[in-house]
This record gives sequence, structure tokens and C-alpha cells, in this order.
Amino acid sequence: MDASVRSSFIGKEEKHAVEKRPWILTRPTAKSGLVSWLTTVDHKRIGLLYACSALFFFLVGGLEALMIRIQLIVPNNTFITHETYNELFTMHATTMIFLAIMPLSAAFFNYIMPLQIGARDVAFPRLNGFAFWVFFAGAIILNVGWFMKSGAPDIGWFGYAPLTSRAYSNQFASDVSTDMWIMGLQILGVSSVIGSLNFIVTIINLRAPGLTMMRVPVFTWMTLVTAFLIILSFPAITIALVELMMDRSFGTNFFEVSNGGLPILWQHLFWVFGHPEVYILILPAMGIVSEILPTFSRKPLFGYPIVVFSGACIGFLGFGVWSHHMFTTGMGTVATAAFALATMAIAVPTGVKIFNWIGTIWGGHLMMRTPMMFALGFVWMFMIGGFSGVMHAAAPADAQQQDSYFVVAHFHYVLIGGSLFALLAGIHYWFPLVFGRKVSEFWGKLSFWVIFIGFNTTFFPMHFLGLNGMPRRTAVYDGNMGWNQANFIATIGAIILGIGIAIYFAVMIYTYFKGEKAGRDPWDGRTLEWSIPNPPPEYNFAVTPTVHARDAFWYEKHHRTEIEQEKAEHAKDEAGHGGIHMPSQSWFPIITATGMLLGGLAFGAKDAINVTLERSFHLSADHNWGILLAMGGGVITFLGAYFWSLEGPGGYHVEPESDDANAKSAGYGSHH
Amino acid sequence: MTAGAVAVMPIFFGGWSWLEGHQSTLQTKGPVAAEQAKVFYVTVWVTTIIFIIVASVLAYATLKFKARSSDEENAPPPEQSHGNPLIELSLIGASVLALVIIAVPTLKTIWYDYDVPAAEAKNAYEITATGYQWWFRFEYPKEQIDGSGKLVTANELVIPAHRPVHINLRTVDVIHSFWVPKLAGKVDMIPNRGNRLWLQADEAGYYWGQCAEYCGESHAVMRFRVIALEEKEFDQWLENQKKGARDLKNAAPANATETPKAQFASYTFTPKVRNSPGWSEEFDSDPFGHWRKDQQIDAGENMALIAKGRQLFTQKTCAGCHTVRGHEGAGIVGPDLTHVGARSTIAGGLLENNVQNLHRWITDPNNVKPGNKMYYGSGAMPGYMRRDQNSDAWVQNFTVNDEEAHALVAYLRSLK
Amino acid sequence: MSSQTAAGAIDHHHDHTTSTGIPNKKLFMWAFLASDCMFFGSLISTHLIYRLHPPPGSPSPRDIFSIELTSFSTFILLMSSLLMALAVNATQAGNVRSARRNLLGTIFFGLIFLGCQVFEFNHFVHEKGMTLSNSIFGSTFYTLTGTHGCHVAIGVLWLTLMYIRTFKPVDADSGRHAWLTSTFAHVILFAFTIVIWMYLVLQLIHVVSESGLNFASVGHWAGEHLLLVIIGAVLLVGLNIMGRVRGATEFGEANAIDVEGAGLYWHFVDIVWIVIFTAVYLLEYL
Repeated sequence: MDASVRSSFIGKEEKHAVEKRPWILTRPTAKSGLVSWLTTVDHKRIGLLYACSALFFFLVGGLEALMIRIQLIVPNNTFITHETYNELFTMHATTMIFLAIMPLSAAFFNYIMPLQIGARDVAFPRLNGFAFWVFFAGAIILNVGWFMKSGAPDIGWFGYAPLTSRAYSNQFASDVSTDMWIMGLQILGVSSVIGSLNFIVTIINLRAPGLTMMRVPVFTWMTLVTAFLIILSFPAITIALVELMMDRSFGTNFFEVSNGGLPILWQHLFWVFGHPEVYILILPAMGIVSEILPTFSRKPLFGYPIVVFSGACIGFLGFGVWSHHMFTTGMGTVATAAFALATMAIAVPTGVKIFNWIGTIWGGHLMMRTPMMFALGFVWMFMIGGFSGVMHAAAPADAQQQDSYFVVAHFHYVLIGGSLFALLAGIHYWFPLVFGRKVSEFWGKLSFWVIFIGFNTTFFPMHFLGLNGMPRRTAVYDGNMGWNQANFIATIGAIILGIGIAIYFAVMIYTYFKGEKAGRDPWDGRTLEWSIPNPPPEYNFAVTPTVHARDAFWYEKHHRTEIEQEKAEHAKDEAGHGGIHMPSQSWFPIITATGMLLGGLAFGAKDAINVTLERSFHLSADHNWGILLAMGGGVITFLGAYFWSLEGPGGYHVEPESDDANAKSAGYGSHH
Repeated sequence: MTAGAVAVMPIFFGGWSWLEGHQSTLQTKGPVAAEQAKVFYVTVWVTTIIFIIVASVLAYATLKFKARSSDEENAPPPEQSHGNPLIELSLIGASVLALVIIAVPTLKTIWYDYDVPAAEAKNAYEITATGYQWWFRFEYPKEQIDGSGKLVTANELVIPAHRPVHINLRTVDVIHSFWVPKLAGKVDMIPNRGNRLWLQADEAGYYWGQCAEYCGESHAVMRFRVIALEEKEFDQWLENQKKGARDLKNAAPANATETPKAQFASYTFTPKVRNSPGWSEEFDSDPFGHWRKDQQIDAGENMALIAKGRQLFTQKTCAGCHTVRGHEGAGIVGPDLTHVGARSTIAGGLLENNVQNLHRWITDPNNVKPGNKMYYGSGAMPGYMRRDQNSDAWVQNFTVNDEEAHALVAYLRSLK
Repeated sequence: MSSQTAAGAIDHHHDHTTSTGIPNKKLFMWAFLASDCMFFGSLISTHLIYRLHPPPGSPSPRDIFSIELTSFSTFILLMSSLLMALAVNATQAGNVRSARRNLLGTIFFGLIFLGCQVFEFNHFVHEKGMTLSNSIFGSTFYTLTGTHGCHVAIGVLWLTLMYIRTFKPVDADSGRHAWLTSTFAHVILFAFTIVIWMYLVLQLIHVVSESGLNFASVGHWAGEHLLLVIIGAVLLVGLNIMGRVRGATEFGEANAIDVEGAGLYWHFVDIVWIVIFTAVYLLEYL
């Protein structure tokens, strides 16, 4: 840990029992209430913050999707305007990708990963808090357009140049939706990269003794691969966004067609990021499923090394297939053929995972709990999505499918049937650990079946819509094209899916307050996170575990005496160091992020700010007030970071509660 | 997969009404689309077979190993086996093999689709298609017209059947994509990039197409048609197109100050709500026949009304953006209207070409195609609206009233 | 997780509290630099793609570049890396005085590089007529080299803060606000000194390049900017006073990892410049 490495601090604090510090560097100590959440550096609390905001934006994105489906329920519908429709599909995609699925994965990375590797926090706890608050700032900037005159962004989540240039995206000088989109995504990129750097260091450096890389749980492995994908792919889109921002704000010519700019360059930069992003969304889901299937089959993952290597292989190949999103851009035969073959190649490691999951349940004792239902649903749906993916890899077939509803069907099978099902499975699976309560099996399974039926009713017909020539991103269609029935059914399906999601969350909220108390280790878990009491104490592990085998906790449960002996020795050791060292809370992550929020808002809205100031307050148009304000935000960020470094990581010691009694009364491996 | 298996698929899929639309990618009418559909069928066969195998195993395993009672759940855990490298490797091998089956036709078709086969290259007809927000301009480089360059038309691409057509794809603004599903898969029109595609219609007919790349507010209603004609009919059509607009000098001279009388009107306009469909069952049952009928001069033309319409065409600044060869219009920002009356659709392939729809389009363009340049203007050229310099808001520039619309409709319908 | 008491010499190459023995901060920096590689990779690709597909009427880079100046600044930046390495070494050896000297040297060389870039940009804009917006070459060139310049500037800022950090007294947290105030004053002083002297030096170069290096031109320069020269001199004296050490400081071998982190960043920025210098400048002379 960041803090424990600086051993000098520990010694010093003990000398000065009462620490006297300048007021600005006063450390917050609240353990409950608003301040405790704003200043938290606890990876579990940050995980919950990520989860809550992700679920909120998931509902926002879901409402956007429902409005899209309602508009398409009948041909030539007038429910919403073309403009609103374009805003909705842009924001639906942006929200679901960047504000729902990614942060929900990040929530699991934060909460579960350190527990799986036997760590007490991530490597840089304050930076972890910062990553969350920066994410939150980016989310606000992306969505603020809904409440502004210029509306939400309507350039598509892919923002293809030159539709994003000032000439085509601004009807009014005060129209700043595209600038807001640019700023929001850049800031989200900062958050993702910082968060991922932290996870990389944590997984590589903070593993419990004995936890070699080939013993690390698959979910943690997928976290690591995803984090590498993020730090290597986000720069591409950040640079693309920087170039676009320079074009729009400072008159450069990166994508300016009249001066020789090449809009195709945007597509390459975007998809160099965009394709790894697909795996950023799906690999964590694969990790979760690779945890759930063994647990509920009561046997280890089939072919662990192959699952791990295929994950890494997908991550690696994921950087070499981006142009399959561009088969219709006239790349020429050789490039098209190369990317088609590379894309088919990536199907192999993906298929391998499916084989291994089936191998895992083969010969097991399958316990059909709700998480298992979602995980099996994932395998089925992901298979279908994978197969339609292979169809896209065949470039000539893709010439017909590209930008049609067939593609919409494909990626929703991968992202809902894939990512989302796994994340919903994960929420069910780890809910007892996080909140100490268990979801009712009846309601859990009911929500699964409603979601499963609603999802397939919505998206299966879209395959046919696409093959029947219906293009994506169209607000209206004519009634004579043969698309009416399928669209109607899809909309009904979307409503069923919406009801399923509503049941799911209603059940979760009910369970949080009134659910059945879960005993310790309710699922007979295999990995270290189940070895601690639920909800987990602040310090996670009373004694840092020593790992002897792959499914570490399963091994512990079956070698109890030697483990207990070992733990007692370690506990004595740690007690000798004055208890467990915890990092201090801090105000500076959120202050620094606030500077970025203000700077981003001001820079994004600079045109609107300048126009308003000029018209309403007759301020001189010679100064770019918006940029001056943005620089103000930059100053706050700098000061925040400056005091952050002066503050130091700090830290304090806690004595763990006696864990043994707790553990014994709950009993190892109890399940109902 | 054998050719026979490929041939069976259309019976399975194509027999379903969900795949029989005007833009079906599987009921193909040309070799390019047919080859693409064949590749698709290969992928469907391969993946379906794999799916059936894998899914059966998964279903079997789920049912067989499911714990059915609490006794079974509480039984001691099964053997803690860790996998079997031999099974893994053979499955990887099988996957690679399946992919090779897909890869071979994929590669073949990539090269086939790319350009007109060498044997037929000389026979290929050439066309340049240009995307605009939100309509298509079609130029015939080989068809020179004395004094005014190449033949240009809009939104309805007329091509010779049974002959490869080589289409250069250009755009003047954002990225569009040229897609006629029954004839060929799409290729994008990208600024500063010379894309192209080729297609061939195996039979004379009327084909639906649509822009397939999101291109702004009215992307959804950016549509077009391809009409393939037998050689003789195509030549006739070309000959007519090369002529200038009809010379109606013998029409009764209209007094410029006199407003056209409503009684001249042969129809009563019924306003439509936003997005209401622009096609009728009657039209849809025989669009090709309708297109042929549109080549003929309408019965009962009112020469006075037409002359008035021609005047209004200039007065309302239409001529600033639209070309009507031989008449006043010379603009090139909007579609060429020299023979607009002989097209089966208007408003970028959105509405069928009849007096009601023309009237609707002219009087209320923004509700037909929101954000269009006819309404908002293009560059310095104002449209129905213009930008107020002080408030940065849109203000009305001009409107077209009911009577004026009748005259303009009559004029446009006369442009055969 | 158990905290090791720092008894005896610190092993700078192995951290026993982490699974791999690599200190967290070092690993973090390496991973960040991997990410930064992709940033520069995207920018350099953009530049090269447009050099391979130049639109008609593009300016010819050879007519614009002054390769001698850029070679000089490249050499300076390389030498700054040497000083940076010495600073890291000195810190690891516990020689704080030497570390300070080398940090200041690195900052100074970094500033010379930045000054050259400011001069170069100025020259290109005003004399060669190449702006950010009048050609694609201008757009990609200024954005790429400007982004690199920002990296150098951030490096300079970081090293400056590191230099100031070496003065932190052992009783910094005793509640008298002394350290907080003085560090803040130190930073502000440093920033002003840098800005004023960079401006003055660039003006001097301007004057010298116009009327040659002679007493009159220097005198003219001094006369024109008399007030700034005096303020600049006062600031330098002030910095010198702030730079004197009073009492024991809390900076030593334990901080070597922080200096090393900054050093990794600095070396990376240098290496990136070598790539940019090759791809953007030298390739034009092939």
C-alpha cells in the first residue's frame, strides 16, 4: 500500500499523538455521513459510489432506449422529433458505454478485486477516489446538454468527422452540445486511465503472499487485462478528441475537409480505441462469469490457464482488428482481407472461453441460484452474439449488415446478453458479501426470466430487420418496407425488458433494507473475498491471508487446521506493528476533480458563455471569457493537486475485531 | 458448405415475409448482392451447426448436472478436476477449421466485389453519385449535353440493366453511404476520398436505396431509388433527359401582378402531419409502372398556371439553388429539376411524386425533412428562413401560400 | 502488508512490501508512460499521415525549419537527462545538496529547450507565415510539438516542486504554518522568475539577432526592460535566499523514489523528443 510503504510516517505519527496541521491540510475523519463519502479513500466505498452512479446512468440510458423504441413502434411515428431521436441514440450509446457498463465494471474492480488478492486497499487510495470524482465530473458534462438550450449531443457516439465540425453541428453560435461531448469524453478518459493505472499496480504489487499470477482469480486477471486495454486504447480517442477540439476551438485543420483534412483519420483513431473498448466492456463480464460458474458448479474452472491466456490473447488481438468497423469505407482489398481474417482469428480465443465454461459445469453439482441463472443466460446470449459477430467478420456479408439493424442486434446480444447479464449476475452474487443480505430466490429468478424473455423479444427480431435492409439511426421508416411487425414486437420486448429491469432493482432495494440476513460465505465460495465477514470490515482482512492454491479460500476450507495455525502467527506479527495501518481520508481528490468539472464545463460551453456575456452584459468580445473561466478551473485543479501532495497519504492504525469467533459460528462452507 | 446447402437457405429464410421487403439483402437482383448473400449463407450454416452442437452440449450438461434436491446440493463436492489440455487443443483446432470454411469464400468475394470483373470492364457504364445533406446527385460523365456539361439528375438513378455499372462515390459535406440492398452492399461516400462500387441489375426494375451512414438531422429520410431499364428504354430515357426543360412558350402569358386563381387548381390540398407517409398502396403495388407513367405528360395541364409557376420559381429564389436547363434556374446547390416531373419520387426519394406531395413539400418543407437546406438556406443563400444577425435566431425569409404552391406544383409537374 | 521499519540502508532496487519488489510508484510511472506512448503515437501518426498525403499547396518543411536551432535544443534536452540521472543518483546516495544542484540544472536545461521552442514557434508564425490554422502542416506540427512542449513544461513544474520539496523542515507539521507559507511563496517566486527571465532572454536574443551582439544592443535591451531586469534580479536574489537551508530538512534517501519517478518521466519525454525530432525534422532532410 501507498501508505504502508512510507514506514517513516507511521513512526512519526506515534511520536506526535495529537497531530497539529495547518487548517487547509486538516484530515477529514468522519466515518459516516456525507463527508465520509465525499472524502473516502476506501476501495469498497468507492466501489459503491461507482455502482450507484453507474446504475443511475443505466436507468437514464434505459429510459432513452425506451423512448427510441416507442418512436419506432409504428412506421412514421411522431412521438419525438428527428432531432430528439438523434440526441437520444447518441446519448443512449454514450451513456451505456461510458457511464453505465464501464463504471459498473469499475465498481466490481474496486470492490471485489482487492478482496480477491487479499489486499487491504488499492495501491493509491486517494488517486482511486480522484478517479471516481473525475468520472462523475465527466458524466455531468456529458449530460448537462439535456438542460441547456443547445440540447444533448446529436453526433452519434462515434462522432464521425466532419459531422462534428462547426460547419455541420452548430446551427447557433450558442450551440455547444458537441463541445460538451468532447470535453466530457476527454475527462472520462482521464478517469479511466488513472483508475486503470491504479488497478494495474494493485494487482501486480499488492497480492497476498503466495498468490502467484497463475493463482490469481480469473476476475482479477480480467481486471488486469481490461486495465491494460484502457491505458493503451484511451490515448487514441483522447488524441482524436484533442484534434477535434483544436479544430473546433482554435481553427486547426485536422478534419477540415476544405484544407485537405481526412475525415477517415478520425475513424481510424476512433476505432483503434473503439475496438479494444468492446473488450473493455466484455472482459470483466467474462471474469465475473468465470467466478460464478465454478462456485455454483462446486468445482474449479475448467482449464484455468487457457481461460487466462485466451483473455490476454483477446486483449492483444483486440488492437489489431479495429478496421472491421470500417469495411464499407473503401479500404481496398488487401486491408479488408487482413482485417477480416484477424477478426475471425479473435473468435478462437473467445470460443475457447465458451468451451471452458461448459467444461466447468460438466460433471459439477449445479446449484441453480439466481447468479447462476444469469451466468448461464450470459453463456447462451453471448454465443448468439458471438456468432453474429463472425458473420460481420466476413467482410462481403458485412457490406450489407454494416449500419443496419443486424449490427444493432449483434452488439446488444454481446453488450446486454453478454456484459449486462454478467454484471447483473455479479450484483446478485456479491450482494450478500457487500450488504450481508441475500436476495429472494423467487424474485431473483422471476426478474431473470422477465429480463431474458424481454431481451430476446426485443433484439432477436432486429436480426431480420437488418437483413431486410433497415438502416440504424433512423427516426422514422415507411410502412411499406416489411419492417412493421418486427419493429412492433421489438418495442413490446423493450417494454418487457424494462419491466424486468424494474423488478430486478425493486428487489435489490427491498433486499438492501429488509432482505434475509446472509450467513458468512453463503455460496460456499472459492476465492478470498468470501473468507471475510459480511459486510466486510474497513480493513478487509484481520490477518493478511497466505495463499497456497488457486481457489485459495476453497483450499483454506479444506485445510483448516494448518491455515488457522498460520493465521495466528501472522496475527501476532501484525499486532507487533501496532495494528492494521489504514490510509487517511482526504478532501483533495474531490477538490481537484471539481476544478476539472468547472474547467470542462466552461471550456465546453465557452461559445455560449461568450455569446451570453456579450449580448446580455455587453462585455467585450475581445476576450474569450469562456476560456478564462476554464483556466480558473485549471487553477483549482492545480491547487488541489498541490495541497494533495503537501497533505501526504497519512494513515492511522486500527485493531481488528476478533474474527475467529465470528468465523467459527458461521461455519465454513455453510449454504442452504 | 456445398452449393446445394447454400441454395436451400433462401427457401428457409427468403420464404419468410420478414425478409421480403423492398430493401431485402437476401432477395438479391444482382451479382454483387448475390455473392454477398452467399457469403452470408455460408456464415449462417457454419455458425448454426456449431451453435446446435455447442448448445446441445450446454443444455445437456445443465440438465444432467443440475442439483434437483437439497440432498444433491449438500452432497460432497464433485471431483475437483482442472481441465484437459487435449480436449482444449482439439476444440481450438475445430474452431480454426470452421473459420477456414468461412474465410475462403470471404476472401474470394472481397476481390470479386471490389471491381467490375476484367472481362466485362469495357462494357461497364459509369456514374458519379454525390451525397448531399440529405439527397443524392447523380452525374452521367459519358452523357455530354451541348453547352451545359454532363447530364445530371437527382435521387433517382436510372441505369441500364444487364450491364455492370461503375459508380464513383463522392460527397460535398459529411459522410454518406450508398446502399441499394438488392443490388449491392453499401460503400461510404467520404470527403477527400475517392470511393467507388460496382453493381449490376439482373432485371429491369425499381429498386429502393437509402443513405446508410448517419449524416445529421434528416438522415432517416435520405433515400433514393435505382431504376434499371432495358437497353432501348434506357436510351430513350437518356435522349429525353438530355433535352432541356419543356418549351411552353405557347402557353398563355401570365400577368406578373395577377395572383393565380384558385379555380385553376385541379386538386384541393389536404395538409399532412409531420412524418406522415409519402407513399400509397396504389403506388406501391406497381412503382415501376408509376415511374413509366411519370415519363408521360400529365393530362389537363393548365398553361397559365404553369407560366405563373415558372415566374414564382424565380421570385421565390428557387432558381438560385436549382437548375432547370433551358429555363431560369441555374443553381447547383439543390437537386437538378430539369426533369423533376418525370421522377417517381420527390424530397430525396421520400414522397411519391404527385401534386399533393409536391404541395406539401413546397409549403411545409421542414416538417417533411427537418433541417433541410431548402428551408434553412445554405451558406450565404437564405432559404424559407434566414439567420438574424443580431439575435442569432432563425426568422422567416418567405413563405409559399396555397395559391403560389398550386402554380409551382403545376410548373414542376410540367417538367417532364 | 506488515510495515517494515526502515532500518539500515534503503535498497533502491527492491521494495519488500510489494509482491514483485518493484515500488508502487515506479510501476505506476512505467504503466503511465506506456499509456503516454500511445498518446504520442497517435499524434506522430497523424503528423506522418498528413506528410504522406499533403494537400496541394502545403508549405515545404525544409523552407520553414531551422534545423541548427532544433539540433541545439535537442542536444540541450539530452544533456538535461544526464543531469536528471545525476539528481536521482545523488538523492539515492543521500546527498541532498548535490541533488538540488542537479535538479536546478535539469530545470535550467528544460527551460532552455522551452525557450528555443517559444522562439521557434514565434519565428515560424511571424517570419515564415505558418500558423496553427493556415495549413494542415501547421496544425499537426504545432499540436505535436506543442503537446511535447507541454510535457516538458509539466516536467519543469514537477522538478521545481521537487526542488522546493527538498527544503521541507523536519518539524513541518508543527502548526506554525511556516512550511506551508514558505513553500507557497517559494513556488510563486520561482514561477515569476522563470517567466520574467524567459521573456527577457527571448527579448535579448531578438535584439541581438537584429542588431548584432554589441554593447549598444545589450544596453538598449537593458534600458528598454529596465524595470523587469531589476525585478528579475531581485527575484533571483530572493530565490537564492530561499534556497539557503535553515535547520534539518525532511528529505533524504526515502524520497529517492519520488525523484526517480520524476526522472523516469523526464527521460521518457526526452526519448519522445528524439522520436519527434527524427520523424518531424530529420526525415524531411532525407
